[in-house]
Amino acid sequence: MTGFMLHAGKPLLIAALGAAAMLAACSGGGGVKSNGKKSGAAFSVPIEYHKLANGLKVVLSQDRTVPIVTVAVYYNIGFRIEPRERTGFAHLFEHMMFQGSRNLGKMEFIRLIQTNGGTLNGSTRFDFTNYFEIVPSHKLETILWAEADRMSGLAITRDNLSNQQAVVINEVKVNVLNTPYGGFPWLDMPQYAFKNWYNSHNFYGELGDIEAANLDDVRSFFDTFYSPNNAALVIAGDIVPAEALALAEKYFGPIPSAELPARPDLSEPPQSEEQRFSRIDTLASRPALAFSYRVPERLSPQWYAFGLLDQILVQGEDSYLHNALVKRTGLTGSVSGGINNGLGNKYNYNGPMLWTVSLFHDNETAADSILAAVDTEIARVRDSLVSDEELGRALIKIRSELYDYLEYYNGMGKADLLACFALFDDDPGMINRIEEGFLQVTPELLQQTALKYLDSSRRTVLELQPGRQSASQ
Amino acid sequence: MYKLIILAVTALCAMAVYALPGETPPAGGQPKKFELPPRRTFTLDNGLAVTLVPFGGTPKVAVELVIAAGNIDESASQVWLADLTGMMLEEGAAGMSSEQIARKLAGMGGQLDVGVGPDQTTLSADVLAEFGPEAVAILSEVVRAPMLPGSEIERLKNDLIRRASIQSSRAQTQALEKFREVLYGDHPYGRVFPAEGILQAFTLRDVKDFYDNNFGAARARLYVAGVFDQEAMEASIRQSFSGWADGPAPSANLPAPESRREVYLVSRPGAIQSSIYMGLPTIGPTNPDWLALNVTNFLLGGMFASRITANIREDKGYTYSPRSSISVRRGDAYWAQRADVTTEFTGAALKEIFFEIDRLQGEPPPAGELQGVQNYAAGRFVLQNSSRAGIIGMLAYLDLHGLPISYLENYTENVMKITPEQVQAAAKNYIRDQQMTIVVVGDSASIAGELGAFGPVMQ
Repeated sequence: MTGFMLHAGKPLLIAALGAAAMLAACSGGGGVKSNGKKSGAAFSVPIEYHKLANGLKVVLSQDRTVPIVTVAVYYNIGFRIEPRERTGFAHLFEHMMFQGSRNLGKMEFIRLIQTNGGTLNGSTRFDFTNYFEIVPSHKLETILWAEADRMSGLAITRDNLSNQQAVVINEVKVNVLNTPYGGFPWLDMPQYAFKNWYNSHNFYGELGDIEAANLDDVRSFFDTFYSPNNAALVIAGDIVPAEALALAEKYFGPIPSAELPARPDLSEPPQSEEQRFSRIDTLASRPALAFSYRVPERLSPQWYAFGLLDQILVQGEDSYLHNALVKRTGLTGSVSGGINNGLGNKYNYNGPMLWTVSLFHDNETAADSILAAVDTEIARVRDSLVSDEELGRALIKIRSELYDYLEYYNGMGKADLLACFALFDDDPGMINRIEEGFLQVTPELLQQTALKYLDSSRRTVLELQPGRQSASQ
Repeated sequence: MYKLIILAVTALCAMAVYALPGETPPAGGQPKKFELPPRRTFTLDNGLAVTLVPFGGTPKVAVELVIAAGNIDESASQVWLADLTGMMLEEGAAGMSSEQIARKLAGMGGQLDVGVGPDQTTLSADVLAEFGPEAVAILSEVVRAPMLPGSEIERLKNDLIRRASIQSSRAQTQALEKFREVLYGDHPYGRVFPAEGILQAFTLRDVKDFYDNNFGAARARLYVAGVFDQEAMEASIRQSFSGWADGPAPSANLPAPESRREVYLVSRPGAIQSSIYMGLPTIGPTNPDWLALNVTNFLLGGMFASRITANIREDKGYTYSPRSSISVRRGDAYWAQRADVTTEFTGAALKEIFFEIDRLQGEPPPAGELQGVQNYAAGRFVLQNSSRAGIIGMLAYLDLHGLPISYLENYTENVMKITPEQVQAAAKNYIRDQQMTIVVVGDSASIAGELGAFGPVMQ
C-alpha cells in the first residue's frame, strides 16, 4: 500500500473520487461564457493558513458535505535530494514511517486508522513525501495525535528495517523488474532526459542500495528532514477551523524545529540538441515510444502557457495528438502525457520538470514516422496563433481538470494542492488564483512559448523495443 | 424520508485491544450521522429508469448510462466483440463526427467515456455543472443513433489486437486469464483474451448485429449525480431518451462456475516473482450471508491491517501487494487472494495464506479485532458514497443485483451486527480450502517442485 502511486497525472473518474467543497449546491459555478472566460461568482476553496512557532505550516479547509476529514502531512523531502549512495532511500524511509513511533508499535498506526473507519497511504515524489489519512471527522484528534507521534520520533528495529527492505524490493519487482514496460516512461525518462544527478538518478533505487541501508541511515534521514519547520499539515473536510487549529497546536506545537540543510543545486545544464535513446524490454510484446520536453519554470507566465499547450496537444479526445496519432492514422490506440505525468501533476513539484508523452505502437511502425506526425502537430502551435475557440476550450478543460484534482480520492487531491502550494510557495491561497494565471495567457504568449519550449533541441526521445538484442543507440 | 445511517464507529476498539507503551491515542469526539444523499427516480414510457442525485458543491455533474450488455453476450467466436462495439459507439452519431462530439464535450469540460465490462457497458461524461443537460443529449444520440462507420473498423480491430498483446504480456493478467478459464470453462467469463484471428475476422455486420441484439432502453438505466438544475436536467432526459426503442430483453446467460483443489502452473521462464491468483466461486450480494462474507474478507486479506497482509507482507516480507477481494457480476461471484511474491518464497507464501484461512475457520476472531474491521467497513461505506462516481457506482450496484435501497440504508447497522461466529462460519462455508483453484504464474524450473504440496499440479 504505501509507496509510489503509479497511476498517471490526470485523475480519471474512478470510484475513489471525493467529497466536494463548500458552496451550497447551485446550478452553476459562476457562468462560463463560450470563450472559456468566467463571469459571475467563481467557485473557491475556503482556506485558513497559520504557522506554528516551530515553523510547521498549517492549512485548514472546511467542507461539511460529508462527515469525513482528510489529514495530510507533507515533508519537504522528495526523492530528488536523497543521499547519493542510497538511491531509493526517500521511498524506503517512507515505509519506515509506518513501522513504529514513540507510542505506536509496528502495525499499530495502520490499525489505528483502519479500525477507526479510515483509509491511509503515503507516497514519495520528486519534491515531497506525504502521509495522509481520510477518517470519520470525529476522529480528527486521534489522527493528529498519531501523526504528531511519528513526527516526534521513530522507534525502528533492525527487524522492521529488514522486513521493509524485502517489501520494497518486492515493490520494485512488481512495478518495474517483473513487468513489461516497467518504469516506462515515468521512472526511465528523467534518467535519460536530465543530467544533474539529483534529477536523473533511479528514484526507486538500485536493489543494492536498498539492501545496504542501515539504522544509522534511518536516524540521520529522520533528523535531517522530518522536522516541523520542513513540513506542512493540511486538515480538510468536516472541521471547525478554530478547533482544528487548537488541536494542531496541542499535538504538533511541542515538537522542536531543526536546522535544515541548504537546498542542493537542482539546476540542469542547458540542452542544445535532441537526445535519443532506446532500451530493450525482454517482457514487452510491442514497441513503445516516449518523448519529453523541458517545462518552463513553475508558475511563470510561460508555464501557464505551457499548461494550455498541454491541453491543446495531448489532453482528451479533442487534442491534436489524439486526432493525429489515434483517430486519423491508427498509429496507436491512445496517447497519454502531461507535465510531471506518472508521478503527479503540473502543480505538485518544485524543480526541473518534463512534459512527457508516451504511446504503444506496432512492430511495423517506425518510431520516426510517429515523430514526424508529432512534429506536424507541434508545428501547428509554433507556426500560427491558436484560435480563440481553441484557447477557450483549453481553459474550460483546465478548469474541469482542476475541479477533478480537488475532488480526487475523497478530497485528498485538494489537500495535495494546498500542501504543495504551502510547502513550495508559502501560499496555499494559490489554489483559488491558479485559474486566473491561465486566463491571462494570450495566443501570442502561447505561440512564443511553443517556439521556445517545444523546440526539438529541448527534446529527449526514448524508444522501448521488445526483444533480447542489445540497444542499437 | 431517507433513513439516517449512524456512523457507529466506536471509540473503544483499537485502543483496548492493542496495548501501547506510554501515551494512548485520544478517543476523538462523538460519531456524526451520515445521510445518503437524497435521490429521485422516475421511469420513462419506454422503460428507461432514471435516478437523479444532487450532491456536493463542486460545480460538476456526472452522467452515466449503464446498459446490460457486455462480454456475457458474446459467443466463443465473438470474444471482445462487445469491446469493439463500445469503441465503434465513439465513432460518431446523429450526423456528428467523432471529432465534433469530442470537441463539444471538451467544451463542456468532459469527454465521452465508453467502458465495456463482463456484464455491462457504460457511457459516461463528467462535465461542468451548467452543461449537464447538453451532455445528456449527446450521450443519448451516441447510444440511440450511432453511425457505426465501416471506415473505422480496421483501425479499431488493430487497436484491440495491440491491446490484447500488451495486456496479456503481464504476469497478473496471465494469472487472471488462467483462473477464469478454469472456473468458467466455455462460458464467456472463461474467455479473457481473444485469439488474434477472432479479432481479425470481425466485420461491420458483426458490430451492427451485436448492437441491435443488445442495446435498448429496456436494458439501460441512467444516473446523474453532482450539481445540476433538476428541472432542466429532467426535461433534457425526457426529450433525449423518450424516443429510444425498448429493444431486446437482457440475456440470462448466467454461469455455473466450478472449482476443485488444483494448482495451475503457468510458465514464465526466469520470473523473479510468482504471481499468485487463488480462489473459488462464492455467494453474491443477494445471499443473506453476503455482509458476513464481506467482513470476513476484509479481516482475512481485504485491508492493509488484515491477517494475510500482516503475515506475508509485514511479518515475512514475501510480497508488496497482497490483496483478497470478492469479484462480483450479475448472478455470479468469486473470492480470490492475489499476491506477487519473491520466487523463492512461493511455497512459503501459499502455506501462510492457507494457514490464515484455516486459522479463521478454526476459531472465531477476537471480538476486538472484528469490531475494528466492522468500523473499517462502515467508514469505507461512507467514503464510497461521498463522490459523484461513488454514488452512481453504489446505485448501479443495487440495480445490477436487484437489491432494495434498504441495502444501503441498513448497511452499517447490519455490518455492526455480525458476530465472530458468523465470520468463522463464512470462512468455513465460502472460502473452502478443498475447492480452491490455485494459479501460479512463475519460473516453473524454480517452483514446480514445491507446488505439489498444495494440490495436483496441472501444467
